[in-house]
Amino acid sequence: MNNSLLKVENLKVRFKTEDGYVSTVNGVTFDVEKGETLAIVGESGSGKSVTSLALMGILPANGEVYEGDIHFEDKDLRNLSKKQYRELRGQEIAMIFQEPMTALNPVFTIGYQLRETLILHYKMSKEQAQKKGIEMLETVGIPDAEKVMGRFPHQLSGGMRQRVMIAMALSCNPKLLIADEPTTALDVTIQAQILTLLRNLKEKSNTSIMIITHDLGVVAELADRVIVMYAGEVVEEAPIYELFENPLHPYTKGLMASIPKIHDVVDELYSIEGTVPNPADMPTGCKFFPRCPIGDIECTKIHPPLEYVSENHAKRCIKV
Amino acid sequence: MNVVEDQVIMEVTNLKKHFDMSKGFIKKTKTIVRAVDGLNFKVYKGETLGIVGESGCGKSTTGSLMLGLLDATEGHIYFQDQDIAGMTQEELRKARRDLQVIFQDPYSSLNPRMTVEELVGEPLLVHGLASGKELKKQVSELLKLVGLREHQMKLYPHEFSGGQRQRIGIARALALKPKVIVCDEAVSALDVSIQAQILNLLKKLQKEMDLTYIFIAHGLPAVRHISDRIGVMYLGKMVELADRDELFEHPLHPYTHALLDSVPIPDPRLRKEHQLIKGEIPSPSNPPPGCPFHPRCPYAQAKCEIDMPEYREILPAHFVACHYPLVNEDTNVLPDIKKVK
Repeated sequence: MNNSLLKVENLKVRFKTEDGYVSTVNGVTFDVEKGETLAIVGESGSGKSVTSLALMGILPANGEVYEGDIHFEDKDLRNLSKKQYRELRGQEIAMIFQEPMTALNPVFTIGYQLRETLILHYKMSKEQAQKKGIEMLETVGIPDAEKVMGRFPHQLSGGMRQRVMIAMALSCNPKLLIADEPTTALDVTIQAQILTLLRNLKEKSNTSIMIITHDLGVVAELADRVIVMYAGEVVEEAPIYELFENPLHPYTKGLMASIPKIHDVVDELYSIEGTVPNPADMPTGCKFFPRCPIGDIECTKIHPPLEYVSENHAKRCIKV
Repeated sequence: MNVVEDQVIMEVTNLKKHFDMSKGFIKKTKTIVRAVDGLNFKVYKGETLGIVGESGCGKSTTGSLMLGLLDATEGHIYFQDQDIAGMTQEELRKARRDLQVIFQDPYSSLNPRMTVEELVGEPLLVHGLASGKELKKQVSELLKLVGLREHQMKLYPHEFSGGQRQRIGIARALALKPKVIVCDEAVSALDVSIQAQILNLLKKLQKEMDLTYIFIAHGLPAVRHISDRIGVMYLGKMVELADRDELFEHPLHPYTHALLDSVPIPDPRLRKEHQLIKGEIPSPSNPPPGCPFHPRCPYAQAKCEIDMPEYREILPAHFVACHYPLVNEDTNVLPDIKKVK
């Protein structure tokens, strides 16, 4: 584990609401190794996106990390000043979002926004930055890169905007790229293009990728290792093949069984009954118990710990 | 499945919807968006007809036309021997008793100031089918049917989760005992575990109430799961339509093939290089000449740039619009048409 780039320990995040504090990430522990692609899977309300925002230090104003440690290489991210965090973002950790339109500034050209990062972090001249910017756009497969530099975000299609975001994120050679649902808003043929791009990127550079998604298809395409989150906790962690061949937690199993398969049609889909619990009103004991097909009274009494069943496969369930 | 073969419940012929997006007053620039551009297909009683395609292909416009929510520019939509395209508002209102819709986002399609009881009861009240105690009884039966509880009747939409809200939308669509329901991206916004619940519910209701579905979606796995037949749209045109297994196992149109190949498979052992199709969907206001797919098609020939391929029944019940359809390698059923490149 000395190969780890990012180390998150017992991370807890809460939000201030009218009814007091609501905790949406409840003790998440994981690490991202150098050069690996880690997928964080979960449905809405699992806390997967909040976890990534907390890592980037960009939680909304009413949110805060109130416990736990985040280490990136030898830096303790919880103790960084705003200025230090800003330097880290972009240069060492970069992030791409689901909807690039909200992340790109609509009033500046693509070229301006690409150059800005390079001038800021690398003290490049405008000409150098322009050249490097065009190069970056070409790397992510944008045709007519020079022309695109002069365009505004709204003049590009969704797939193009996502490529621009990736180009921008990669322009400073980050060590870690956090991709939050990077293909969810895209059409399926464009999604295939972006996934291929991310896969090639990993092969060419040694960038670690942390991909956050609800889509097990995307996970299967990209990840080396997977963390499954439910109600603000990690419920299972395993290498990719291990997870798909031998899922342990009933939630992971249910999730896999409930996706319609394109090559294997069944009459009725397996479905996990009920819905994700409200963070303000969490069940005591196991949080998945109300929806669990195998749980019993014991599960309501103890909150199961995350246990390793082998060197790298962990589960949070006392019944399996 | 209670599909009654040959019993056509809806038929669409040469359906077109063009939007005039012309701008300017003095210097007028004429722009016509051909959202739907000449569709022909039938819907059989009791089946689920899936319509898939990427953004801008015209699938949702097709759904709106079939519901009479948009006026067709050209063509006909026959529903039980009446043409929806030529109906007056009054006639449409009557037809909608048999023709209902479920939308993608139940939160924006449900009035936030109405309780579930009012929402589900409204169609019955509007059509004068029930009132008072009878209305309440019917609403509670509808809620039970979609898996909601009677005590939830007095709640408002915001008090429900996404999946439950979709159930309210379904109950509302079922209230008038319709014959056909258009499901426009009905499960697209839901989490996978909830999506499975709703897909199962829709299937169960179809059996119990003898419903016909037109299931419009971009998510191919869900469409394959629920549909009996599937049509693939591209730039306002139907490029292929066939029985679902036939379509998934032996696609004839290169676009269908590329679309199916792009779907990420949730199994890391099947990880592979995708057969990427280059470029993006052209704008429907300026479609390419000839076959609309030719600029992106890996098999395009000179003919494809000039002639629009005819949409025809190339094999029994398998329609395709392509000059050079792909050969089914297992059976070699199209020996006269060679796979090029």
